[in-house]
Amino acid sequence: MPTRRSLLGGAAAGFGLLGLRGLLADSLNPLAPKTTHFAPRAKRVIFLFMHGGPSSIDTFDPKPRLERDHGKPVPFQRGLTFGEDSVRGLMKSLWPYQQHGQSGIAVSSLFPNVATCADDLCVVRSMVGDGVDHGAALLQLHTGVFSFKRPSMGSWVLYGLGTENQDLPGFITIKPSLGHGGQNNWSSSFLPGHYQGTAIGNSGMKVVDIEKEPVPYLQSKGMNQELQRYELDMVQKMNRQHALANDHDPDLEARINAMELGFRMQMQAPEAFQVERESPETKKLYGLDNEKTQDFGWQCLLARRLSERGVRFVQCSHSYKWDQHSELQKLHTQNAAEVDLPIAGLLKDLKGRGLMKDTLVIWGGEFGRTPWAQGADGRDHNPYGYTIWMAGAGVKPGFVYGATDDFGYHAVENRMHIHDLHATVLHLLGLDHEKLTYPYAGRNFRLTDVAGVVHKGIIA
Amino acid sequence: MRLGVLLLIALPLLADDFFEKKVRPVFATKCQVCHGAKLQSGGISFTTADGFTKAKDKIVDVLSYTGKVKMPPGGKLNDEQIADIGTWIASGAAWPETAVTKQPEQTHWAFRPVAKVAPPSVSDSKWVKSPIDAFILAKLDEKKLKPAPPASKLALLRRVTFDLTGFPPSLEEIRAFEDDKSPTAYRKVVDRLMASPRYGEQWGRHWLDVARFADSTGMDEDHIYPHSWRYRDYVVRAFNQDLPYNQFVREQIAGDLMYHDGDARRTEGILATGFLALGAKPLAQQDRMKMIYDVVDEQIDSTSKAFLGLTVACARCHDHKFDPIPTKDYYGLAGIFASTMSFRNLGRPGSVSYINYVPLDTAEYGRYQAHRWRMYATQLELEEAMGEDYTRGLTLNGPKIHDAIAEAWKAKHDGVKPASQRWLDWLEKQDGAWRTASTENIDKVAEDMAAAYNKAAQEWDTSIKHWRQEFASEVAVDRDIAERPKLPTEANPFWPGGPLETPQTSRVAFLRAEFENLKKTLPPEPAMASAVTDGVIVDQRVFPHGDHLNPSEPVSKHFPTAAGGAHSPAVTGSGRREFADWLVSPDNLLTARVMVNRVWMWHFGEGLMRTPNNWGLMGDQPSHPKLLDYLARTFVEGGWSIKSLHRQILMSSVYQMDGRNPDSAADPANRLLSHFPRVRMSVEQIRDSFLALDGTLDPELGGPIKVKRMSPDEPDAKAESEETRRRTMYMPVRRGSVPVLLSTFDYGDATTVSDGRARTNVAPQALFIMNSDFVAERAKGIAQHLLRDEAFTDAAKVERAYLMVLTRRSTPAEVDQALSYIASFTKKTNREGAWQSFCHVLMSTNEFLYLN
Repeated sequence: MPTRRSLLGGAAAGFGLLGLRGLLADSLNPLAPKTTHFAPRAKRVIFLFMHGGPSSIDTFDPKPRLERDHGKPVPFQRGLTFGEDSVRGLMKSLWPYQQHGQSGIAVSSLFPNVATCADDLCVVRSMVGDGVDHGAALLQLHTGVFSFKRPSMGSWVLYGLGTENQDLPGFITIKPSLGHGGQNNWSSSFLPGHYQGTAIGNSGMKVVDIEKEPVPYLQSKGMNQELQRYELDMVQKMNRQHALANDHDPDLEARINAMELGFRMQMQAPEAFQVERESPETKKLYGLDNEKTQDFGWQCLLARRLSERGVRFVQCSHSYKWDQHSELQKLHTQNAAEVDLPIAGLLKDLKGRGLMKDTLVIWGGEFGRTPWAQGADGRDHNPYGYTIWMAGAGVKPGFVYGATDDFGYHAVENRMHIHDLHATVLHLLGLDHEKLTYPYAGRNFRLTDVAGVVHKGIIA
Repeated sequence: MRLGVLLLIALPLLADDFFEKKVRPVFATKCQVCHGAKLQSGGISFTTADGFTKAKDKIVDVLSYTGKVKMPPGGKLNDEQIADIGTWIASGAAWPETAVTKQPEQTHWAFRPVAKVAPPSVSDSKWVKSPIDAFILAKLDEKKLKPAPPASKLALLRRVTFDLTGFPPSLEEIRAFEDDKSPTAYRKVVDRLMASPRYGEQWGRHWLDVARFADSTGMDEDHIYPHSWRYRDYVVRAFNQDLPYNQFVREQIAGDLMYHDGDARRTEGILATGFLALGAKPLAQQDRMKMIYDVVDEQIDSTSKAFLGLTVACARCHDHKFDPIPTKDYYGLAGIFASTMSFRNLGRPGSVSYINYVPLDTAEYGRYQAHRWRMYATQLELEEAMGEDYTRGLTLNGPKIHDAIAEAWKAKHDGVKPASQRWLDWLEKQDGAWRTASTENIDKVAEDMAAAYNKAAQEWDTSIKHWRQEFASEVAVDRDIAERPKLPTEANPFWPGGPLETPQTSRVAFLRAEFENLKKTLPPEPAMASAVTDGVIVDQRVFPHGDHLNPSEPVSKHFPTAAGGAHSPAVTGSGRREFADWLVSPDNLLTARVMVNRVWMWHFGEGLMRTPNNWGLMGDQPSHPKLLDYLARTFVEGGWSIKSLHRQILMSSVYQMDGRNPDSAADPANRLLSHFPRVRMSVEQIRDSFLALDGTLDPELGGPIKVKRMSPDEPDAKAESEETRRRTMYMPVRRGSVPVLLSTFDYGDATTVSDGRARTNVAPQALFIMNSDFVAERAKGIAQHLLRDEAFTDAAKVERAYLMVLTRRSTPAEVDQALSYIASFTKKTNREGAWQSFCHVLMSTNEFLYLN
């Protein structure tokens, strides 16, 4: 099979050798923006990931039947559950619901600020996954499968679309959890390494520490940029002499370019991470002035800064907090209070800046929680029917899609499997999930494996 | 390579290729469910020419949905697919013999027996130093290409030293080689390098890529494999000792079954099966059956790719789409691995499963376990006795609390001496209602307090009972025990030392002493291996569509027919032993070929066949098929010695050619090897040589990784990776958080059998070289080394730096260029800074980073 070098060599024959090779070295940049399969509705994605599994029943999927049957034994067949020995009776939502906005979308009192954006939300109440434990569920949500290591959704998007800003990584995950799949959740797997997600810190780190070095090796600690440029000029002088003596091997030319790109990146990228440059009003909008909301607020605000600079896929993680097998009342209240204002801030800010029209925001966890109580005050994992919502580019605003059964256990109407979600997200980005393939180990692979249906019902 | 795939599609396809690429995949995915080998609806089958006859004339109409019959019923094919099928029909509907129905050896070059080939005759017999050269030169002759001239002495030394050890040659080694003018100088270097323990590390690391080696389970829980390093060290030893490759293969599949207690290789045999045991695996999957078969699948995938270069795992759900690997063959292997134990215990529902470890010394482990069980039994007995004491205290003293509180309050209130000073002292430390109580309500207050304390005591009692159950079940699965619940705190009168403490019975004291003694005398855990053993022997059935919930017909344990497994023997036990023997038997068509190709790839950057894990129909065509067969045959005939294979390659003219050849335009990809290829260093070579150059390398060979804590959120592995000064291959690698440095430089995912490292050029790599403290410190170290000896002039220092870092003599112009750089940099900073920067420059150049 021809290598890159042979392509370059072959194609270059008969042309001005040097110029064309330089040109090709640039056009062969795998991260250059690419043509989509059809016109895209969204150009980029911000994924707000609630690690642990927020309870749909207590947030965006009201269930009057549970009010009525509160405390009664579970009247239906239960699926595979994590904590079999602590199953108790049905449990109603611990928080009251109210309808909001023109659309009248029901949001519980856990999310008073997000509720003010109800008319922007496209709530999907019929999500279905296959993983009952966190690890499997996270891997499936991020990569489509959990039995094997596969590229992350963000890597596929980057592979399909390239990126608009060569000075920043194209796929960024902010404060991800190192557990439950860890890096596998933002890995490029068999896709080439440049499609790998770049992690900004991890869930265990404090924002102040992350800000010191958001991207590894981005800044020299010992040298100012003038000296560094001087040094780099010497390196490049030697590299050019070396390339000249070696027939301008395109690999060598490519590394000369990569060094320049690296230098440009270190000049441009730090500015993107300087959240402190934002106005006091903006910081307040995201809750940076409040201890409770400042962590997730910082993540959301950084996500906006990165998105407006052309980063293709940004994930924020509220991790790993939502796993309330017990203390649902106390901890769901606390968790929601940490993210509610920042999320609403992000939606309003995106709208205000005109970014909402081509940015797709997705909110959700790896699964929902059971309609029955686990122990005294908890809920178990429920991947059989749960809620996520989207907002922004290409999805119907102020819209509720799909439904779970009377108890909020199984998705029964417009079931959207995780494969379907992936297919739909790719569709919104202008990519056909059946055509976005990569040859590996003798066959073509896709994000959606052999499944996935685009749910046109949510598309505006 | 990957761009190549896209290009190929644009080329006009040969008729058979057209069918295989455009037509058969559509038949396979859209038609064969109803018209296939199992079901022939309407008497039509899309698997053979005969079965297709009835459909031939109608098919385009049917697919176009223009007639009454519309197929496939699930939705019309896209226009391109219909057009392709139309083209194929119009061109005569030639039905190539299918992979499965045709004898494999007639179909595909890799499935034919290894041929007996003699080296061809060539234009320039003087160039032929090794039979390899004849094969290479013959191909170059065909294209009228001349091989490049021999590489310079120092270029060759740099190449072979990095190749065999992963390090640059030291100044002493450079001098010795330059001074040695004998014709055997190079051979001596090759022998010296292969005898170095660094050789085993460098080449063992290559194999660890194939073995998708890492130090944790990855997937959902990413638990550390605490014994993984023993497999890693086994691999290094195998290469250093030149363990015959056939034995190396057999041990990795069935080493536990090959030797008896007392055999010298007994331990090595157990360690070797780490190959099967150390793959990525889920632990929390609640569908245990699925979990087991996912691990089986992982083992089939890794084993078939690593040893056979076949993608057998594609046949889990359906017959292989391209290769003659029926689902039956997949489950033939699945039966073997399903009968092999990878989990020690599947755990209770709701919990995680436990990984299988095997003790290296069974007797010692037996003693250790007996001690532990005695310790746990005593602990359990102690808990029971304490529980009895506690209950007794509760029964005796519970009713007295109310009176004691009321009495103490009254005594304090009246200013008289209380009946129990102990009670009063304790109460003084408590907040609450008793302080503000009055004569009227003290009775009620005392009652409430008594009730609260009794309730707390009972809750503790419940939790200790619960814990005892858990204790018993954890002991049963031989797992470390959950901590005993903490006693109620000081606020509770039942707290030991509180006013209500009941005297301890002598039984408790005795048991406690015994337990403490057992705990103190518990020996350290004996050496263990991450390894497999035979488990319950499974009569495997085929799972159609990979669905383990719907098993169909039984299938005997057997080996892939495509690779020569048509005559699998009857097996005993799991069948691993027989499988291992078959992998290296003369019947096997692929094992030797696959390995010689890998060795070639690790010397030259690319294999003779460039898809090292896929020798099937979708794999690459080799550039030199005869050479491949020649090498495979001599490899086997020479006793499967890897070091002999190295020697054969290293002593050839091909290996010793210069890296440049101005006449190579006719073969721009250099597949014919008219010159030595240029390859970017691996991340190990980059980091290790930096450490060697400034002299800070920690040379320790092998041994455990130093990661203590198990929680995935603990950043220990990361910290260790950044701080260690050992060779890069000893960095602990968690699959869930591969160190940034490694992943930046194309380390791969440590989860699937490596195709060979990618060699990308991306900005984050440049940033590491430009900005990392690690590289800055190394540059500083080299500069200090140069500056230490002031007997050298600055010009001599520059020459020395070139020799150290780039293994070559600098030209006078380069020395001038360097000196003027250092002079002007000194003006901006200082002498040390300028020399550090100059060293940093050399370390950052392409000339350093590319081996050639």
